Amino acid sequence: MKSALLAAVVILGASSAAAQTASVSGFVDGRLFGFPQTAPNDAARVIGDGLFRSEIVLRPVEWFQFAAGLDLRANSHHQVEDRWRLDFEDRGVRRPRAAVRRLAATFTARGITLDVGKQFIRWGRADIIYPTDRFAPRDYLNVIDTDLLPVIGARASVQISSETFEAVWVPQLTPSRLPLLDQRWAALPAEAAAFTITDGGSEIPHGSQYGLRWRHTRSRVETALSFFDGFNHQPDIAVRPGSDPAAVDIVRVYPAIRMFGGDIALPTDKLTLKGEAAYVTSPSATSDEYVLYVIEAERQTGEWLLDGGYAGEVVRQSRVSVVFSPDRSMARSIIGRASYTVDPRRTVIIEGAARQSGDGFYAKLQYSQAMKQHWRLTLTGVGLGGNQDNFLGRYRRNSNGSVALRFSF
Amino acid sequence: MNSRRDRPLIARPFVLGAVLLIGAGALSAAGMHAAGPPVDARAIVQEAQKRGRASSQRYEGLLQTFEAQGKTSEKRWIYERLGSYGASKVIIRFTAPPEVRGVTLLIVNHPDKASDQWMWTPALERDRRIALQDRSTRFFGTDFSFEDLEERDVDQFDYKLLGEEAVDGAMCWSIQSTPKLSRFSQYTRVINWIRKDTYAWTRIDSYVKDDVVRRLEHRDLRNLQGIWTALQTTMTDLRRGSITRLALDKVEYNVPLREEDFTVEALRRK
Repeated sequence: MKSALLAAVVILGASSAAAQTASVSGFVDGRLFGFPQTAPNDAARVIGDGLFRSEIVLRPVEWFQFAAGLDLRANSHHQVEDRWRLDFEDRGVRRPRAAVRRLAATFTARGITLDVGKQFIRWGRADIIYPTDRFAPRDYLNVIDTDLLPVIGARASVQISSETFEAVWVPQLTPSRLPLLDQRWAALPAEAAAFTITDGGSEIPHGSQYGLRWRHTRSRVETALSFFDGFNHQPDIAVRPGSDPAAVDIVRVYPAIRMFGGDIALPTDKLTLKGEAAYVTSPSATSDEYVLYVIEAERQTGEWLLDGGYAGEVVRQSRVSVVFSPDRSMARSIIGRASYTVDPRRTVIIEGAARQSGDGFYAKLQYSQAMKQHWRLTLTGVGLGGNQDNFLGRYRRNSNGSVALRFSF
Repeated sequence: MNSRRDRPLIARPFVLGAVLLIGAGALSAAGMHAAGPPVDARAIVQEAQKRGRASSQRYEGLLQTFEAQGKTSEKRWIYERLGSYGASKVIIRFTAPPEVRGVTLLIVNHPDKASDQWMWTPALERDRRIALQDRSTRFFGTDFSFEDLEERDVDQFDYKLLGEEAVDGAMCWSIQSTPKLSRFSQYTRVINWIRKDTYAWTRIDSYVKDDVVRRLEHRDLRNLQGIWTALQTTMTDLRRGSITRLALDKVEYNVPLREEDFTVEALRRK
């Protein structure tokens, strides 16, 4: 696959002079996070993060498009790898200094679209929690401020009138990037303090994944059904004895899963009702079997976009004691998001989730302002609270504020 | 509440459609008079739409929004339309400033009902349907609402000829249009001023109940490929006191466009 993509690069490079369209875009982003409290495993209270992201898109002929993107990163808290290399697979524990973010060729003809290469594939309709979004691993080094990771694969789709059929094949798993064990977002349970915990690595399975999706878009209602056969990009956590009795190894295990999912959007006179659900099974009977669902209502009024709902989970078979799954862990929660456009340059966003049991919550307030044509300043405050045994409650010492300055080009 | 949706579909074609198609296709007043002037309001509007008809259209737009507080913002987009009033499809793709580059709106217009609209946001890698009840909101910080971007067929409105008056020195018919299905529109009624010499729209006032809430004005009328086209359009949000100016550049009609580029699936392409 890599050689095919390289060939595409060469061919396109040769023909770029005659390209019908070509565009380069990107940004340089600098962020500073401040944490009022230290965490038991992390004394850092100020973290700086830098990201350069650029993408070039060439469309030499109408039926062909090539897109390539590059990320360059720096971080003051060792969240970025020390060594310089160009990463293609996004499987590292830390973020790579330089990574290919996108490298994909798109062919279109007679209503059929084929995307091949490193790309983003999104399924589903829900916000905040994504039950059917199986080809969209995330970077969770900061659990509340995540970023999508691309996957390597092929996606074919055909749209016939209001029906779209989609098939995806991904030859290898791209796992979500988990919080670092020695940093605050790992949020280890209190009992862990009695042990020396080491990173036992990841058991990344071999084998490909595939998925099928049918989407129906009519004026009154939009629906989709989806099927996925592959691996969970959010791992089960295996705790294994370490080298001495007071040591344990934490191992990330990515179980084989099958998912049967669906989503719907139903506009009414006042609101758009949205729902998304996934039934996840474990063919090897080594992981949990559950239904994760989200029900939301959305309304745009004036300069406000309001979205609120409930995320729920029904566990049919519980086989694993520890999982890292923000989606599942935030289930049984009331979720909400409101954004207000002050004027074309300024927006305010309020977002939050609260467990129905009241044992965990998070709230985010963000103010963003564009300055001239290229600059944007974003101020964010995040509050987290709850009990130690709750996913969100474990992060109660991670409330933070951040300031970000971005130059887009 | 229903009255908010009473939006003259005719305004649709006027707004962007008219923004671009503006001006019916009359090449000369002489030709018009030779054929005999239309005798009723609906016929005038139908003739205006007919003269602006083209199989497709493409232009590059510069949008400048002036807020009441004096702040300004600037955006650029590429507009492509396939088909004509009532059955057209439109892609609006932002090209500047950099942070909104790639944001794309697909509008699928229908002859007998409100359009379907989807917006693609590159940062999320997802599309989102713009629900009918959400279309009275501003389109991406401009003074156009999502509804204003639609093109609607002449048969979606009832018309009444209010009289004749001069606008910018040109004699115009003043025609009121009201939507037959009020739930499809935020506007109660719309008053259109259509030039008698060219059948081009020159001004559109959109009402909510008895108040004018938006005013669209067309300037710099040019005959391009036989279609009168306003190269400068101003939308005023009278409630906010803000103004958006749209300047059209590189306007082309009957350009070869592919049907498969006007689908939800195609929004993902750059």
